[in-house]
Amino acid sequence: MSNVCEDQVFSSLFKAHSKTVFNYIYYKFGNEEKANDAVQEAFVKLWENCAKVSPEKAKSFVYTVANNLYLNVIKAEKVRLKYAKSVDDQSSNLSPEFLMEEQEYKKKLDNALGALPENQRTTFLLNRIDGKKYAEIAEMEGVSVKAIEKRMHLALKSLREQIDGI
Amino acid sequence: MQENYLAKWLSGELSEAELAEFKKSEEYASYERLKEVSSTLEAPEFNVEQSLERIKEERMGKAPKVITLNPFKKFLRVAAVIAVLLAGSYFYLNTLDESISTEFAERSEVILPDDSEIFLNAGSEVSFSKKNWDKSRNVILNGEAFFKVAKGKKFTVETEHGTVAVLGTQFNVENRSNFFEVTCYEGLVSVTHNNMETQLPAGTSFMVINGKVIDTSKPNGQQPTWMNNESSFERIPLQYVFNELERQYNIKVKTENVNTDLLFTGTFSNTDLNMALKSISTPSRTNYKVEGDNVLFYAGNTPQ
Repeated sequence: MSNVCEDQVFSSLFKAHSKTVFNYIYYKFGNEEKANDAVQEAFVKLWENCAKVSPEKAKSFVYTVANNLYLNVIKAEKVRLKYAKSVDDQSSNLSPEFLMEEQEYKKKLDNALGALPENQRTTFLLNRIDGKKYAEIAEMEGVSVKAIEKRMHLALKSLREQIDGI
Repeated sequence: MQENYLAKWLSGELSEAELAEFKKSEEYASYERLKEVSSTLEAPEFNVEQSLERIKEERMGKAPKVITLNPFKKFLRVAAVIAVLLAGSYFYLNTLDESISTEFAERSEVILPDDSEIFLNAGSEVSFSKKNWDKSRNVILNGEAFFKVAKGKKFTVETEHGTVAVLGTQFNVENRSNFFEVTCYEGLVSVTHNNMETQLPAGTSFMVINGKVIDTSKPNGQQPTWMNNESSFERIPLQYVFNELERQYNIKVKTENVNTDLLFTGTFSNTDLNMALKSISTPSRTNYKVEGDNVLFYAGNTPQ
């Protein structure tokens, strides 16, 4: 039986989930420092409770600890995200007008994301950036899959409305 | 169109019919672009390795998180403090010099760590460091003492009038106010007085009264007379004789019309006061009167 108290098990759990914990908290509050602290806090707690938490439960344990850490404590800041350079950008046959329009669009998307309610933004970004399935996000947030689908639907709807200026 | 169809579309869960219908809608292009651009989004950098290191450091600090409930804890804490204090005072006291003193009309013998002996005459004090005795045989003397020094390293007696250094011998040092006398009974004694060193072979004395070095005759016997309960003087001002009398009997001596600078030669008993008083008054041609602890020496007629 593997045990979270074992160094190897703990390290592999950390490597598997720390990045998502970091992103999760970052999407919520837009604060990198707080996100880093949340990772520390969550995994130190996991270590302290390693005898009680099975490796299967470890994942939801760290999300719960990280989530509870800043509950109602800090004010969300603007989430700043980057865009991966798409292959198209490097090709020179794109017109300057197109590139300008692309920049414009990203700016609109940024603003629209900032305007989203925290839970919708988190769900949307966990799916788009971290590739998390709705069921996984539901587990992290402690809600039903349907609730996540609702959030996703609303997120897409309001993002489009914001961008298209409806 | 089913509930939350946008979410279903994004996760590829729409039926073909639904998808076809959605594609025909005018906002489809917008959603398609949103889907495409949002897939290029990136979160801020996160260094997994560095973060794991930090955790491990913190874990180290918290690892032995054992809280023992020990009812003796308080007691042990107090006991530890007491133990530290005891040990501390033991070492402190150990470094202090050993000090032995005699009151008036009292004598004492001191055995030093190397079996050297010190005989303390009345009203005297010696101190030495027991701890450093092996390194330096050094004694500080106030008053008068007779030393029988075991052979060994240099043995020194410090007084305010000078220093006496020997290797192994028997000698007497008297160090009183304005009076300093060293008598060597055996071996060789070196006396340093006012930076002047004088070698004293056996059977010689060195005497300083009021800062003046005075020639003295050879001492009699193998040890100072006070060791045999007598005080002997040879051409010593009467004042110092009276001082010695006070020390031996713990009395107060007063004088009236007596010249205390007269030189006195003689001996008085240290055990019989009446005998001693007679021994002093007869050769100095004085009379005396005893009143309790006070003795008055006077010349001529009895005063009132």
